[in-house]
Amino acid sequence: MRRRSFLPVTFLVPTLAILLVLSMVPTLYAIVIALQNRELSTPGYSWVWFSNFADLFLDRRFLNAVWVSVKWEIVTVVATMVVAIGLGVLMFEVASPRLRNIYCLLFIIPVLLPRVSAAFVWKFAYHPLYGIATYPYRLVTGGLIVDPLSKASTALFAVASVDVWQWGLFFAVIVLKLLETLPPQPIEAARLDHARRWQIHAYVTLPMLKAPLISLMFVKMIESLRSFDLIYVMTRGGPGVATETLDMYAFSQGFIESGKVSYASAMAVLMMIATVITFTMLWKRVQA
Amino acid sequence: MRPGRLIAKAILALAGFLAVFPLVWTALNALKNNVDIITRVPRLVFTPTLANISYIIGRDSVMTGLYNSVVACGLAVLIGVVLGLPAAYAVARYPNRFAGDIQFFVLSLRFLPPVAVAIPLMVIWLQIGLYDTLPALIVTYSLLTISVIMWLAIPAFQSVPKEIEEAAFVDGYGAYSVFWRIALPVAARSLAGAIAFSFVLVWNEFLIALMLSSSNAKTLPIVASELSQQGMNVPWGILNASVVLLSLPPLLFLGVLSGFLNTVFRQKKT
Repeated sequence: MRRRSFLPVTFLVPTLAILLVLSMVPTLYAIVIALQNRELSTPGYSWVWFSNFADLFLDRRFLNAVWVSVKWEIVTVVATMVVAIGLGVLMFEVASPRLRNIYCLLFIIPVLLPRVSAAFVWKFAYHPLYGIATYPYRLVTGGLIVDPLSKASTALFAVASVDVWQWGLFFAVIVLKLLETLPPQPIEAARLDHARRWQIHAYVTLPMLKAPLISLMFVKMIESLRSFDLIYVMTRGGPGVATETLDMYAFSQGFIESGKVSYASAMAVLMMIATVITFTMLWKRVQA
Repeated sequence: MRPGRLIAKAILALAGFLAVFPLVWTALNALKNNVDIITRVPRLVFTPTLANISYIIGRDSVMTGLYNSVVACGLAVLIGVVLGLPAAYAVARYPNRFAGDIQFFVLSLRFLPPVAVAIPLMVIWLQIGLYDTLPALIVTYSLLTISVIMWLAIPAFQSVPKEIEEAAFVDGYGAYSVFWRIALPVAARSLAGAIAFSFVLVWNEFLIALMLSSSNAKTLPIVASELSQQGMNVPWGILNASVVLLSLPPLLFLGVLSGFLNTVFRQKKT
């Protein structure tokens, strides 16, 4: 029925050409810069090839940043999925349709906020003296002070909690919608077999949703890479280097401390290679 | 079963409370005088003031930031719509052997770490002389909006019943008028969700804007974050007011986006 038409060409070629240019130019240029020794303060530069990369592997702060980034990825992804599945199942079990709609609206609000806003909201809330989140602790202990953002052992988790506040609640809505799309028969059958509620979910519904849940986790892994705004506003990588992720360290090397653009770019290139390879492999496996 | 259900309901209610209360508290603080904010015991009862809000609205830097954000995000979304929607339609309706690769390419743009894009772009814009201008920001954001709109619009176009389009072909419509008069209007609701999502994404964007602007092209998130860097000398009420101003535009899309979620999952069911 559909006639041959030039539509695909006229619709696709300009867009794809622009996307290719917009993505490949900075990508390739990032590699070029990484092989030079550019600095913001001086206009001249020369080619130093791989010495930036060699320096990175001797830089203990870089290795720390890699470790912090890995920790950040694991903590936020796992916590988000746990919160999402937990709340999603609870809504499915005990909330009436009207209540579900209300919860869904409420749970979407945090993720819509700009991360800068979310970071500020919680930075105030975590304030040791005047914060609303630290108030219960002050009340219970009779005025003792807790400052989660300035202790090295808790800072990462305090920032991660904001990320989970945004994404975990949002994903709970999606988990609920996924549960609602399931056919009711297997659940009924399990109920007739006297399965308990948690057993139904652990052995019937969640395994049925394995594929979409894995896709969801994949999305969260990609979004967790964008931690910069939260960390920049809440801790600036501190205390010390406790929350300094790779993008935070690259930013401070390139712009705050020394203006070593090439060094920062070398770091960014390594990140890019690692993420593109990892996610391409994961994506192919998810699709297969 | 009874106590279990009660606990479950309590957990849900607590989660709902946690979802909105921090934001409500921030909005309340925006209406407080400093003495009512800096208290050991949080104050729920206070004499409200509009001083913080009028201070924020009266500041040139905030208004410039707002203007920059609206223009940069608005135009980037417009470019995303003009280039992204037709491309998505072509992928959805004219399958070819590259369709899978194109979809993966569009998705893979999201894998790129923002730092890796922002550093070279900063150098490039500096060399061309466009650093710290809105056009540079708009072009950079277009990469985001085009890819996101395309990614979300492909399933939206695929869910338009094929029969309607076939009927239009029979009636003598050309390929382009089928896109304009049939596919676009039928998919309009899902497409609106996709477009709103891309707007929220660029409105909230921080790192790229931070690196590509120094004074003229600062967007609202950058201006808001700078307010806090003046240390604790800045009254907290003013900071809270700026957070509220920054958060309002995305929240306007709450209805559209939750409707979008619903349509996405209703399609999956059928």
